[in-house]
Amino acid sequence: MTDRLIRGRSPTPADTAHAGGSRFAQSDAPLVVVEPVKGALRLAGLNDAADGLGLRFGMALADARAMYPRIAVADADPDADRRMLVAIADWCDRYTPLVGLDSPDGLLLDISGCAHLFGGEEALRRDIVVRLAQQGFQARAAVADTVGCAWAVARYADDNVIRGRATSSPPPAKGRSRPSSTGYAGEGQGGGMRSRREQAHPLPTPLPQTGEGAERARGTLLVPSDRTREVLLPLPLAALRIAPETIADLTQVGLKRIADVIDRPRAPLAARFGEAFVHRIDQAVGRVDEPITPRLPVPPYVTERRFADPIALEADVLGTIDHLARELVKLMERRGEGARFIEVALFRADGKVHRIVAGTGAPLRDAARIRALFVERLAAVGDEYDPGFGYDVVRLGALATERCDPAQTGLAVSDHSAAELTHLIDRLGARFGLRRVTRLVPQDTHIPEFAVTAVAAATCRTMPANASLELRSIAPQRPLPRLRGRDREGACIMGGASSPPPQPSPVNGGGSRPSLRQRRSVPASIEQDSLSPVRPIRLFERPEPIEAIAAVPDGPPVQFTWRRMRYVVTHAEGPERIAMEWWRDAHGHALARDYFRVESREGVRVWLYRQGFFNDLTLPTWFLHGVFA
Amino acid sequence: MASAASRGALSHLRQALATLDKVKGFSLVEEDTLALGLPEVDAALGGGLACAALHELAPVAPAQFGATAGFALALAALRTAGGSSALYIQTDFAALEAGALYGPGLDCFGVPMERLILLRVPRPVDALWACEEAMKSRGVAVVIAELPEAGEAADFTATRRLTLAARAGGGLGLLLRHRPLPIATAATTRWQVAAAPSTPDRFGGLGRTAFDLSLNRNRSGRCGRFIVHWDHHERAFLPQALSVGVAAAADDGSVDPRPFAHAG
Repeated sequence: MTDRLIRGRSPTPADTAHAGGSRFAQSDAPLVVVEPVKGALRLAGLNDAADGLGLRFGMALADARAMYPRIAVADADPDADRRMLVAIADWCDRYTPLVGLDSPDGLLLDISGCAHLFGGEEALRRDIVVRLAQQGFQARAAVADTVGCAWAVARYADDNVIRGRATSSPPPAKGRSRPSSTGYAGEGQGGGMRSRREQAHPLPTPLPQTGEGAERARGTLLVPSDRTREVLLPLPLAALRIAPETIADLTQVGLKRIADVIDRPRAPLAARFGEAFVHRIDQAVGRVDEPITPRLPVPPYVTERRFADPIALEADVLGTIDHLARELVKLMERRGEGARFIEVALFRADGKVHRIVAGTGAPLRDAARIRALFVERLAAVGDEYDPGFGYDVVRLGALATERCDPAQTGLAVSDHSAAELTHLIDRLGARFGLRRVTRLVPQDTHIPEFAVTAVAAATCRTMPANASLELRSIAPQRPLPRLRGRDREGACIMGGASSPPPQPSPVNGGGSRPSLRQRRSVPASIEQDSLSPVRPIRLFERPEPIEAIAAVPDGPPVQFTWRRMRYVVTHAEGPERIAMEWWRDAHGHALARDYFRVESREGVRVWLYRQGFFNDLTLPTWFLHGVFA
Repeated sequence: MASAASRGALSHLRQALATLDKVKGFSLVEEDTLALGLPEVDAALGGGLACAALHELAPVAPAQFGATAGFALALAALRTAGGSSALYIQTDFAALEAGALYGPGLDCFGVPMERLILLRVPRPVDALWACEEAMKSRGVAVVIAELPEAGEAADFTATRRLTLAARAGGGLGLLLRHRPLPIATAATTRWQVAAAPSTPDRFGGLGRTAFDLSLNRNRSGRCGRFIVHWDHHERAFLPQALSVGVAAAADDGSVDPRPFAHAG
């Protein structure tokens, strides 16, 4: 999936398919988009030329072909349409952070408190339509108090229906802001919001589709606050967003317009046509609140900068981020918060939006460090993002924040280095991904592979060293299973296993949740008996198969071959039996490993284990699991 | 005898010279050193391992990477004894080839896993970049970077950058290679590490971890070869394992009654 917006402009029929016939076709050739409906191919979209020929939505392709055999046909691609809609929604983010999808072909924007930044609601509405037209989309946009009303007007109202007082000053929008940078307070939207609905695709409506989309932008679709009801009255019932069956039922009894039903007694209507129908009426006139579900989380803190001349150089982008970060820090400072996730949204002039997110390990409220994070992020992802003609809006938002009390800077070096360490982890995480910077956290299991897990250092709050040591010392010790005596003298068995048997993961094992019940997975009794460390410093992810010669049945190896090198064992400690928790092998035997710490003549110290026993049924196999210092 | 004033002036001049002399590989300022606690080694190093510097470690033979990492971790254990943190950078391939660090083993070895931050990077150049950034930062006291193979990415230029970064941040940088690199680098010291046979305890078990260190290049003193032991309980190097019992189990000539078997 490449850039839909760019591809949308290309005139080939295949590319225009995804947006139906909605764009101003550069070519005047009639084009229709078809999709299978109930076994027949029907028209799902057509361009202006096709519309002019008298073709209509829902018409069977066979009929259309019968009328115009040479008509160009393309297949509908709902997935591509949806991606396109999402891309447009991303682009609309420049107007308001509250953009909701109204699939398949509409977007809902909550412009409360945003309109004045663009010179008023009408100017904003016009700006959207004109800019979309420049990108090749024919759109209708309406501004109204309620989602329902905006939806109805955008799709069904005559362009000039709202004349008269449309030029009067719109009611003051709520919200507080400054012209260049806006601080969205993040409180929920109350009632009486002004919502705008815009539609990027043509309508299956009986509207006279004359003129170009740019012309259409001239007609105003701005519903003044006090005229919601009045505007809705002449519209058809389909404008209420109700099911076609309900519309058919209503038409049967002679109710065709909203004016016909809006004042009728509610109880009989609800009883006959369903509660949903009445609910839709209430939503349209504003008796019931209908919030817009934003597609993206609305950041609690946002700053942005707009450019008349798009910027494309990395240095310019970073400089802008630096400026924005300072403003963001001021906003966060007022509430005593710091950012945990910060997002930079780069709005490319041609409609594409690049979003770059950086996470932090601790609440961050330092402009220089925010900038440093994005230096790394841009270095890491820079090549993926083509600035093209440049970015005309740069927005910096704190997606997640946490309380961040100003810390008193101590004179002690440790305070300083702790902050430095957090910052270092953030920067390394920004460059390589936070999951690559890890700390090791012990787990409550004695199985070597799962005894420790790597947790992202940014999410893992370090326990004070003393506390963890105390926890460990009081942790209960798990008794080792006793070695069963084996009386059989095994025969000489040659084995050739190439890989260790599959080791099922424990249900919760290896999980990412750091357990607070940290304990040492090495029983202290073993450790006391040995002068050398009892666990290797390096462990192989998959134990490596080796060949070994060992005393039967349970002796340590006297010689082994690993990576084509032969080692003669001079010292060995073991066996230390480690049994799996509950799983069994194919024969129903408990899986157990006998581990040995061995040292070769050269001094190489490794951790080996024998899987299985010497008997008639199973072949013992030897693996090298880790390396000591 | 120099007066206090002239001594101060001398120190000031040394500082000034040191800032001018960054390009050169040595500095006149008295450097922070990490004493290993072994008179012989410390004397060769001129008081101890220079802290704001880069040191290179490589195994004598491919199978000795355990010992190489062990020596680096032992140095990290000494350096972080005050509670500071260490960063261990490993490329994905190095982890696949030589195994990943194992937390319980680190605990046993004397490096508490809470002190350690691990970073996995895809390419050797990323490891070098991260190493440089980490050494510039004062957040970590030790940075260990492990490169697979001979670590060709860390050539003279790259190690020079790392040395400068170490000097700027005052961190101890340890560069681990899986094979020694034959060409010259800007590292302050270069070591080849092998595991030395340990002195077994009286029951015939494994003794303390022992290293056979070859100091092949040393900017501030002579080279040499040392056998050192690591006491993981005390977190200290020992010059020679103390005798802990009889030499070996007496061999009375009796044959172990158990047969041997070869298994793969």
